[in-house]
Amino acid sequence: MVTRRGLLAGLLATGILPRLSWADAGNPAFLSAARRADGAHILAGISPTGDILFRLPLPGRGHAGAAHPTLPQALAFARRPGTFALVLNCVTGEQTARLDAPEGRHFYGHGAFSSDGSRLYTTENDYDAARGVIGIWDVAAGYRRIGEWDSHGIGPHELLRLPGSDTLVIANGGIETHPDSGRAKLNIPTMQPSLVYLSPEGALIDQLTLPPELHQNSIRHIAARADGTVAFAMQWQGSNTAHPPLLGLHRTGQPPQLLTAQDPDHRSLQGYAGSTAFSTDGTRVAITSPRGGLIQQFDTDGTFLSSLTAPDICGLGPGPDGFTATSGTGALYATQALTLMQQATHPLAWDNHLTPIPA
Amino acid sequence: MRALIFALALLPLPALAQSPVVTQAVEAHILPRMETLAATGTALANAAQADCHPTAPDLRAAFHAATDAWIAVSHLRFGPTEDQNRGFALAFWPDTRGLTPRNLTALIDAQDPAGRDPAAYAEVSIAARGFYALEFLLYDPEITATGNAAYRCALVQTVSGDIAATTAAIADDWQTRYAALLLTAGQNDLYRSEDEALRTLFSALSTGLEFTADTRLGRPLGSFDRPRPTRAEMRRAGRSLRNVALSLGSLQDLALILADDNTVLHDQLNAAFAATIARANTLDDPTFAGTADPQTRIRIEALQQRIADIRNLVAQDLGPSLGVAAGFNSMDGD
Repeated sequence: MVTRRGLLAGLLATGILPRLSWADAGNPAFLSAARRADGAHILAGISPTGDILFRLPLPGRGHAGAAHPTLPQALAFARRPGTFALVLNCVTGEQTARLDAPEGRHFYGHGAFSSDGSRLYTTENDYDAARGVIGIWDVAAGYRRIGEWDSHGIGPHELLRLPGSDTLVIANGGIETHPDSGRAKLNIPTMQPSLVYLSPEGALIDQLTLPPELHQNSIRHIAARADGTVAFAMQWQGSNTAHPPLLGLHRTGQPPQLLTAQDPDHRSLQGYAGSTAFSTDGTRVAITSPRGGLIQQFDTDGTFLSSLTAPDICGLGPGPDGFTATSGTGALYATQALTLMQQATHPLAWDNHLTPIPA
Repeated sequence: MRALIFALALLPLPALAQSPVVTQAVEAHILPRMETLAATGTALANAAQADCHPTAPDLRAAFHAATDAWIAVSHLRFGPTEDQNRGFALAFWPDTRGLTPRNLTALIDAQDPAGRDPAAYAEVSIAARGFYALEFLLYDPEITATGNAAYRCALVQTVSGDIAATTAAIADDWQTRYAALLLTAGQNDLYRSEDEALRTLFSALSTGLEFTADTRLGRPLGSFDRPRPTRAEMRRAGRSLRNVALSLGSLQDLALILADDNTVLHDQLNAAFAATIARANTLDDPTFAGTADPQTRIRIEALQQRIADIRNLVAQDLGPSLGVAAGFNSMDGD
């Protein structure tokens, strides 16, 4: 049988290049890195119902992906402190480009495209200067590096483009690391995380820092709603006997709102939120904690809704009835109202994050 | 110790943890070391009062004894050391921006009154407190010659007094509060199961090994093209290698307790630690000055590799043996 994908691969081989779209890759809902049972690493495309649409080999452990807004191109970042990222054609499976971090830099594992897909932005560590950098890459020129901006903080981790705009929002985790010391944290007593908004020209629009008693709450992961509201998830680096909030909502120019479940549910997060997302309809926000094996849902007015258990759960994105989540045990979950349904399970360990594909 | 016995006597008997591993770790590993930390901290403050001159042999001996005691607990970074940032108030290292000498110089230049007052000193920059600040005050050629000698003397006494207060607070907190939380895991809000207590101890071992390999050795090693011997921990006091060997000895003690009755694993860990410590003791490079010399460097890298092997053994065998196997995401930490 001649499938569209097979036909396209054949056409590509002959040098005839039709304009490919995400439909040609089977309309995946998400990208996720994963480790196979044999220890090899892949980037997978996941359908809205939890099927795996494609599996692309990776040379080592991945972290997050980035999906081009129109072309079926996926960026696969190596796990921190990786110095390369691969551009993969999700229809043919070919690697079409490779990004190498400039000398003295490494990637943090997250990236985002401009709204027109012409640029890719990456979070990077200028490690001898202990300075966070946003790298800018020209997509049409085969992902050539064309510049960089200051991230206005140490340890920029996830970055996103606010929906319907080219404003970038950056989670500066605040933690200094240097590849000479692996992943060891070098500045916990003085760390200062922030949430930073940059204009399409790279100018600082707004900057959120939390009160001094929360300076050891590393802001790592973010999600954005259509109206520009940003959810930020945190990882507590302070004492294990303190239990500060691990989720916040923010809009530029306004004070943040911190969200916390009642105890014992809040303490069960073990001070660690791994991912955050808004529900498809935007009325709910959730965090996952692989350490606690939990997904917690909140109304965006701040009301705690539910805390549900799933071992090693971390990847999180919107779903048909709220949220989709993945775990290191291979499970794919869908929330239904306030419960968690196992949609599928694969012989894989899903890595930290689900990357939604633009519809 | 008396305080702990008193605290435990208040608890109903069934509340005591069933786990001999947790009990052994608390009573044979943690509490004696915390007691030594507080005792040597007090002795340090007394020595500084008796003679504050940076080259005074008794003061330097007291500095080394108290620092030894800190290194032996430096992997126990939870509870009493983390509350009120006490651990960082004793050990501001690594100091990637040179904040310790900068803050000390500013205090000395200004003859800041806080430098004469141990109570007020708890409010100065955390970078100017603790063992690493005292090392500068006793051994750094520039700091020991800057400003007014009488003020520097007072500052040595103040920093030592502040160390004594912090180490006493940590030991007291362990004895009167925190030991009981570990020992009654499953029956308090902090440790809601014995597994959580075991996970905390396991994590202290893993992160302690990581710190010694990646930070104590990794920072001076730098890269082959750019070795960084001046980043070695406490090189001014000649303690870089000593800290590595002492931390490994303490981590060995904890690892063997956690191996419990798994005799095969116990013997494997014991042998791996013994070989690694023996290698450290034959290195003959107390400050890792040899990271820039290819022949010495290869031997320091070999020591680091031995620690990496212990880390693998701990992650792959000890974790599952304790029932705290690492999840793909839960132990990734990113």
